[in-house]
Parts: sequence; C-alpha cells; structure tokens
Amino acid sequence: MHALRPNYGTIQDVGTRILSVEDDERIRQAVKLALEDEGWTVDEAESGEDAIEIFQRQPADVVLIDIMLPGIDGFELCRTIRRLSDVPVVMVTARNDTHDIVAGLEAGADDYLTKPFAPKELSARIRALLRRTRPSSTPHARITLGDLEIIPDEGKVARGGEEVDLTKTEFRLLCELADNPGKVFSRESLLDKVWGYDYFGDGRLVDVHIRRLRTKVEVDPANPRHVVTVRGLGYRLQT
Amino acid sequence: MTLTDTPTGEPSAEQQLRRRRTRWSLRRRILATFAAGAIFMAVLLAVTTYGLASSNVVQQRDQSSIDTTKRNAQIVQTSLRGPAATAQPAIDALASFGVDSALVWYANEWQMSGTQYEPSALPQLLVDRVIEDAVPARMVTEVAGTPHIVVGWPIANGGAFFEFFSLQEVNSALSSVRLSLYIAGGLTLTLSVIAGAFAARRAVRPVVDAALAAKQIAGGRLDTRLDPENDPDLGVLAESFNDMAAALEQRLERDARFASDVSHELRSPLMTLEASIEVMESRRSEMPERARAAVDLLRSDITRFRTLVEDLLEISRFDAGVVRLNLDELRALQFVEQAISVSSAPDTLLVSEGRVSSLTIQGDRRRLARVITNLIDNARVHGDSEAKISLEIPTHAGQAEQLLHIVVEDQGPGVPPEERHLVFERFARGAAAGRRSSADGSGLGLALVAEHIRLHNGRVWVEDRRDGKQGARFVIELPAEQVEDE
Repeated sequence: MHALRPNYGTIQDVGTRILSVEDDERIRQAVKLALEDEGWTVDEAESGEDAIEIFQRQPADVVLIDIMLPGIDGFELCRTIRRLSDVPVVMVTARNDTHDIVAGLEAGADDYLTKPFAPKELSARIRALLRRTRPSSTPHARITLGDLEIIPDEGKVARGGEEVDLTKTEFRLLCELADNPGKVFSRESLLDKVWGYDYFGDGRLVDVHIRRLRTKVEVDPANPRHVVTVRGLGYRLQT
Repeated sequence: MTLTDTPTGEPSAEQQLRRRRTRWSLRRRILATFAAGAIFMAVLLAVTTYGLASSNVVQQRDQSSIDTTKRNAQIVQTSLRGPAATAQPAIDALASFGVDSALVWYANEWQMSGTQYEPSALPQLLVDRVIEDAVPARMVTEVAGTPHIVVGWPIANGGAFFEFFSLQEVNSALSSVRLSLYIAGGLTLTLSVIAGAFAARRAVRPVVDAALAAKQIAGGRLDTRLDPENDPDLGVLAESFNDMAAALEQRLERDARFASDVSHELRSPLMTLEASIEVMESRRSEMPERARAAVDLLRSDITRFRTLVEDLLEISRFDAGVVRLNLDELRALQFVEQAISVSSAPDTLLVSEGRVSSLTIQGDRRRLARVITNLIDNARVHGDSEAKISLEIPTHAGQAEQLLHIVVEDQGPGVPPEERHLVFERFARGAAAGRRSSADGSGLGLALVAEHIRLHNGRVWVEDRRDGKQGARFVIELPAEQVEDE
C-alpha cells in the first residue's frame, strides 16, 4: 500500500531494459504487457539460472525478482546479480512479512513490492531508482570526511585512498547525507529523496541500506564513525 | 460458588446435578472434612481422658475416705472402750488426731467433731443403713453446695461414726483437667483447620493453575502449558490439559494459516488480473462503449477483490498473533492530515482543537493510516456521505493520562444502539445488509480498525452524533503525549 508520487508525462529513456524474473507464466506475460505499455523494454526469465544467463548476455538496467522461484531462490539470485553488477534490483514478495522483506533487502535489493501490485506503481519505483545519481543540489565536486572521500560527479567513493564499490542506491543515500554533513536526516526525508516515497514509506528500506552502507564505508560497522544513528530522529554523516 | 437459575421453568437435570456437586467447593469440602475429623477426635479423646481421669481420682478419693473412716472409727471405738457414757472421749481423741469433719452417734445423741458438719447434713438413708443395719456404708451427698463423700461406720453399742470428705479438691482437679482438655481440643481444632486449609490449597493448587492457564489461553497466549506434576494423579490432569492446549493451538494455527494460505494463493491470479486490467485500461479510449463499461466493472471489482484479499491476509496475521507494530512518535495533527491525503477521499474535512497541534502519539504509521482510510471508506459506503474528521482532546475529570480522540462523523442513518458492538465484527453489514454498492468494502474494514487500535492500546467505539444531527460518530481513543513546541 505505497502511496506514490507518479511522474507521469516526464521524459524517460527509451530502451531502458528491465529483466523480469517470475516463474508464473501468466503473471510474467501480463506484467510484460503492462510494462511495455509504460515504455520499458522487458526481458523475461522463468528461473534464477535462466536469469543469470540472460543477464550475462544482455545486462539490464533494472532487475525485477520474484522471491519464490524454483531452483535458486530470489535471495540467492539477488546476491549473484549483486556480485556481477550494481544494477538496481526490485524484489517482489508474496507476503508483507518483515522477515522476507528484510532478507530481500539484505540480499542486496534496492526496493520491494508486495504482490499484487499495480504495474504503474512498479514503473514509478523504477523511475525513482533510475533518477540521476547525483543529488541536484550538491554544490560540491568532492567531499572529504576523515578517511572518506566522495566524488559525486564521478559516482566514486574512496576510503583511505581505496575505491569502495557501492550500489547506485547506496551511493545516492551517501550523497544525500553528504549533501549536508552533520545535519540529521529523518527516515521519511531519506525515503523521499532516495526512493521517492512519501510520508508512508517503509523505514526498513532506509535501515537496511544504512546497514549495508556501513559494511562498506566503515572500518568497524558495529561502531560507525561516519554514518551515525541519531536515536529517535534518523541518521547523519559525522563531520 | 453461586448458581443462577434459568429464568424459565425447572432447572434442567444437568443443572441440578451441577448444583448438587458445586454447592460446596472442593477446598471447602477438604477443610470441612479435616475440621470434622479433628472435632471428632478431640471430643473422643477428651471424653475418654476425662472419664478415665475422673473415675480414677474419685475412686482413689473413695478408697482413701473409706480407709480413713475405718481408721478413725477404730480410734473412736478404742476411746469409747469402757464403755464410756458419752462420746466425749472419742471427740477428744479425734480432735487430738486433727479430725474435724466427723460425727459420732453414741448413746442416742450426736456429737460433732469440729463445727463444720451438722447431723442434719447426713442423708437419712445412710444413717438408717449404718445405725439400723450396723453395716459400713458410703454415700455421695451435697453439703452446702459442694459434693462430699460421707462414710459411716458402725461402732460398738449401736453407735456409729460418720466422716465427711469434701470432693471440692477433686472437683477443682477435674475442672483443671477439663480446662486443659478444652484448650487441647481448641488447639487441635485450630491446627487441623490450618493443616486442612494448607492441604486444601495443596490439593486445589493444580486446579487453580489449570484455571489460570486456561484463562491465559482464552486471552490469546496459546503457548501456555502446565508444569508436569510428579504426582501421578495430578500428572494426568497436567498432561491432558497440555494435550488439549497443544491441540487447540495447532487447530487455531491451522485455521489462521489456512486463511493466510488462501490469501497467498489468490495473490498470483490477482497479480495477473491487476497487470492485465492496466493494459486494457490504457486502451480504454479505443474501446467501444460496451467494452469500456465492462472494463470499468472489471477494474472496480479487481480493486475490491484485492482489498478483500489484503484484508483477509492482514486479519489472519492478527489471528496468528504475528502482528508487530512498527512504532514511531507521530505528530497527531500532521499525521492525520497525511493519512487523509493518501486516503480515497483526500479532500475530507479535518477540524482540530488548537491544543492538538502539540500532541504526539506512539503509532505504526501504516496501520493508523489504514484505520483512518477504513473509517473514511466506511462513512462513504455505510454513511452515504463524506466523512468529517475532528481531533479532540477529551476532558474527563480525574483523567491522569493524556488522550486523543480521532472522531469520524458521517450523515448516514447512524448505527442503532443494539448493533453498535456488532459493527466491529467481521463481515458485519448492519441493517443495510444486502444493499451493496459497487464501492462496498471487504466487510473486514471495521474489524481491522478494531484490531489495529487494540494493538495501539486504544479504544474505538461508535455513538450518536453530538450535534443532534443524524449520523454515526466513530471515536478512536489513543494515548497521547503533550510535547513542548520548539
């Protein structure tokens, strides 16, 4: 039940490829029809193994994964794709259980939807994920915080001179925080800025992504020195 | 334990049986048995002890009286040898031996040794027997209100010697024995009542445990179990209780899982429907009018179907007890505004008291927004009108905690008092049942409202509108907190 803020009528890239992984043939067909109506190019895969093969042959811009798959399941597929690419991944869960959602996000998904969803809603989510990686307001070309160096224009982050491999969503999350170091960002405002959700978005998206971000940019993720939790308020980047 | 009679007719056989069985509680019966046993034992012991003690003491006293009298009679006999003309020598002899409770009949006259006992105190029967028949005899009689043994002994020349022995000491000895027995009896009774109460509690404890456990299970804690008892008798109770609880838990889980599985299975075809209808809708303008009407019907019922499945799934999660709140501190006014803006009627009128703006509530954003959406939908479907939402701070005297009322009013027919507790039941459709519009809800909307609010430690109810107009007034009461504005 995500209320969304659709940007219908905005210009979008032609030929943006979506890889839709779903074992139910009828769902796959219907979703493909609806997504093609929205202007996306859709590749289909009916199993995880299939999906990996297709992805290696023809990398997609967004991957849509149903968690319940025969053979290798959605979580495993997500981890495999993460090893290959930083492409945005949207998980489709059958249930609204915290367990499945958090597990999907931990496996590397950028966002999730619960069946049945409206394909228009999925399009809106994809659009939000594909937005330009650099926050428009960032005036800095290069942000340095202790051993952490962020170059928004190049989409690069380095810790102690060594480049860190972030997904697009993680990078955007870090850039939003770096936009105003020291300022506390609430979960709602991060949901809005990074995922395009309004007030009723799911705070777990932020929490899991922050956790994943920490494992990459922090020396000791259990005692974060850069991405700090402000109890009851949200997160901020330590200056 | 009290029993209420059925208001009509004779109590049934089962009731009569139960009445007979439950007139006395088990605990009381055990206690009564102990007390009755103790009373019986105490009385038996006391009576026996007293009887033995008194006969013993009296017998001893009797024997010693007879011995003393015999001895003194010989003294009298000896002193009157001669024979004496009067009994005076005997009296003197007795006095020298310190005997002061004797009478001597001699030469047809009474002589008193000491002043305590008059001849008139002697029972005539004894006098006759001793003097006429010249046989020693004894008798218990009362002198000046106290019991005495009087022993008579015939002496030479048709005389007789009588001596009085007071039973006062015997009596007081016996009464102290009686007192001891009373005390002992009382103590026995008290101790046995205490022991009985203890035993009763011990005996009843497994029953009390079982009752508490049953209450917990009824309250929703299905994993409650009894500790297995070592006692084989009680072990059976605990074991079968636990078996029952496990079966119940399993059964409820299965039911809840079934509802949840059904909803899950419905999700896949719904997904296909949802995607397909979207493709058709985007070509709505190219369709002939009749196809367009059919697509619209399809769309609205797919939406309804989806709501129903989602509501069923949600409520089955409540039944399975797996719902966890995702609590945030929410600004009441801002939150309700946002919730209205994402509902099916974003332009719903919202009014609030000034003080509400500084109230916060602890709530799960998604669930509370759902509650407000459901109430707005309910107003539209059953209240035939747009809802009006107001935020109020209830003013009850002596209210320690701060409360917030979220009030949703409509201009429909209202809810008759006898249906007010029913509207929050699942699939309750009130008096207007059967009259379903295309915008009808899942029938679970208000049931979900009640579940969500219960989980937020709040209350929800429906009443008449306060302003005298027709319509229902749904009130959500939530604990709130006043915050200082920065």
